[in-house]
Amino acid sequence: MEQPLPAGAPATPPPLGEHLRSPRLRAAMLVQQEALHAARAFLRGEGFTELLPPLVGPVTDPGGRGAKALDVDYYGHPYKLMTSAILYKQASLRGFPRLFYVAPNVRVEPEETATTGRHLVEFHQIDVEIADGSREDAQEIAAGLLTHVTEHVWTAVPEILSELGRMEGDFADIRAGKYDVCTHDDAVSRLLAAGHPQNPDGEIDWAGERLLSLESDRPFFVNDYPKGSRGFYDREDPERPGVLRNFDLIAPHGYGELVSGSEREADYATIVTRMRESGENPAKYAWYLKEARDGMPASAGFGMGLQRLVRFLTGLDALWQVSAYPKLPGVVAP
Amino acid sequence: MTALSTPGFPEREIRARARNGTAEVFPDSRTYGTRLYGPGAGTAADGLDRARIVPPVFMPQRLEKLIDLAREPEFTDVDLGARVGGFTARLPLYLSAFGSTRAGSGDLAVHAGRQAARLGIPMVIGENMIPVHGYRRAGDATRSALLARVEAYLDAAPDGIGGVVVQQSTEDADSEVWNLLYSDPAFRPLLETGRLAFELKTGQGAKPGLGGMTVVDRAEAEQLARRFTVREVLDPDGERQLRCATPGTFTDEILRQQLRFMRNNFPKARTWVKFHPGRDVAHAARTAWAAGADAVTVDGAEGGTGWAPGVFLDHVGLPLGECLRRIGRPDGCLLATGGMWEGGRAVRALALGATAVGLGRAALVAVDEDPEHGLEHLVDSIALELQLLISALGKYEVAALGPEDLWWPDGHPSYGADAPLLGVADPAGAAP
Repeated sequence: MEQPLPAGAPATPPPLGEHLRSPRLRAAMLVQQEALHAARAFLRGEGFTELLPPLVGPVTDPGGRGAKALDVDYYGHPYKLMTSAILYKQASLRGFPRLFYVAPNVRVEPEETATTGRHLVEFHQIDVEIADGSREDAQEIAAGLLTHVTEHVWTAVPEILSELGRMEGDFADIRAGKYDVCTHDDAVSRLLAAGHPQNPDGEIDWAGERLLSLESDRPFFVNDYPKGSRGFYDREDPERPGVLRNFDLIAPHGYGELVSGSEREADYATIVTRMRESGENPAKYAWYLKEARDGMPASAGFGMGLQRLVRFLTGLDALWQVSAYPKLPGVVAP
Repeated sequence: MTALSTPGFPEREIRARARNGTAEVFPDSRTYGTRLYGPGAGTAADGLDRARIVPPVFMPQRLEKLIDLAREPEFTDVDLGARVGGFTARLPLYLSAFGSTRAGSGDLAVHAGRQAARLGIPMVIGENMIPVHGYRRAGDATRSALLARVEAYLDAAPDGIGGVVVQQSTEDADSEVWNLLYSDPAFRPLLETGRLAFELKTGQGAKPGLGGMTVVDRAEAEQLARRFTVREVLDPDGERQLRCATPGTFTDEILRQQLRFMRNNFPKARTWVKFHPGRDVAHAARTAWAAGADAVTVDGAEGGTGWAPGVFLDHVGLPLGECLRRIGRPDGCLLATGGMWEGGRAVRALALGATAVGLGRAALVAVDEDPEHGLEHLVDSIALELQLLISALGKYEVAALGPEDLWWPDGHPSYGADAPLLGVADPAGAAP
């Protein structure tokens, strides 16, 4: 599962002060600033409203892959720091049918992810939700967002990207809006054919995802992950039991997953059953289930990892290089 | 009390209920913590114990062993090694979970764990350890207790042998036990040597269909009330109260998906699942193996160390022998518990398809008798009986045992003699 960091990046950040003074971080933050500016402009142009997300709650996204939430003692109640605000996004849809956050998230990732170059404990997502949207609607917005952001940074700060060693030609497909699509089944077959062991019922592992990403010259969607690999809120395809109406967007050239998204489960009884299937106790989700019972709109949405986006744009080796205050899994840092 | 009498009617029990109400549904709560509960003597024997172990006269496998050894095989030539739920074990045995009852969660459990390690057999740590006793939230005491057990086990276990299995039930899921442990650096040595498993507990033999139950005092009851249901059914003053965990809801799809979730989230841990002796246990076991479970544990109605209503102890659930008959030839590693304490019952369970058998109450009694070596002595005696019995059957490894090695005086069918038997499952539990 573990993979060595690409050559060139030290495995861990230098002391924080030194990191904050580094020209490389400065370059990355200038790119991030442009990316955020472009993302907000694009989404507002598409009719989305920006809300500020909650930081703690009685429950949060249960997630997967062994990442866990941090506990907070909230007036004697065990609360969680948000691993993602997905539940709140769904709950907001009746008032805000097209909404987005730039959301800070905290996930205590398994220590083995420290070496993927793609995991931080504290990170941000551009978190988008569309009432009555389909997977295709969400993918169109995700692709449009990536295209628009890429176009903008190459227009606004091309010299920074060039100095970091990025080649404008490598982004031609994205800027032209060219994306490929495959299914989880296809991805598994390709990995098995390449001799990479991949559980067909599971999430594509980090090494496998990197292999697929390295093979590709343009970004691509992976659709139809199997049930059991994702959270209870990803909608199961009514036509194909066991298959989820969800997707990842994978960046080319080894940069890996940028986006996870799906159509959402909105039916109360289905949500409760799916909670059990993922080992969750529905009683913990009382407030969310009340919303679902009262009628939550069907929706689709996604989260685009901001640091992953900036790493892809800048071409830096590790995610910590594009975070001002990086916290690597398993590493105790200020 | 009047002069009324009702010969032939359980008058004494009725009068006790008339006096004590709901308290009479349970064993005497004053014995809690010092008594291990199980079915009454009248219901303890199941079909498994009625079967005789019957060696043949002609023994081709003994001839194979003779050729292999170039001398007559002896009972000491029987290899008792087994692959138990993904672990390498020296014996086809493992230490069952004791649950969170007071009798099972004190020093005895620590002693039992250390001896299990020395014996080279896996150890299961019970459900509800964390939500009852707390983890980091309640200070480090429980974490240390849990880690002390794990460290003691690792210190004593031979390299690469044995393993530690941590159960999780519905209440544990609230406390995210597996998540806590999987990312706790103290568990890394187990993960790195492939000796950690997580067991999804869906039920238990002592009270099929119910969740865990313990007796708590008033102060504990108040402290636990937010996480558990606590009921005043044991005495009128509420000095001793019943703490109930929910059993959790399962369908075949829920089980399948939960197992997938475990394998996805904890790829370096083995995946075990434990069933109560339900009428559809064969369907449940097949579902679990198909979803990739490394081991399926079946707890017969004879099982359980924990507190349970008397009516469940004596009247509810299938005996282990019937569970094994319904399961038939296993599609994966099958572990059997319930009333195990000597070699005969163990051999019968192994002959009916179990890969290994679990010691629960017997292990606790053994370490109660001798905290330092009681379990080792007990297991030595079982191991000797296993070697004697298996060699007498003309076989020299555990996996060679089969239903042909047993005979039932009352014609109890084994899966070898009367296959296929899976069709006898209750329609409500039948595979779709």
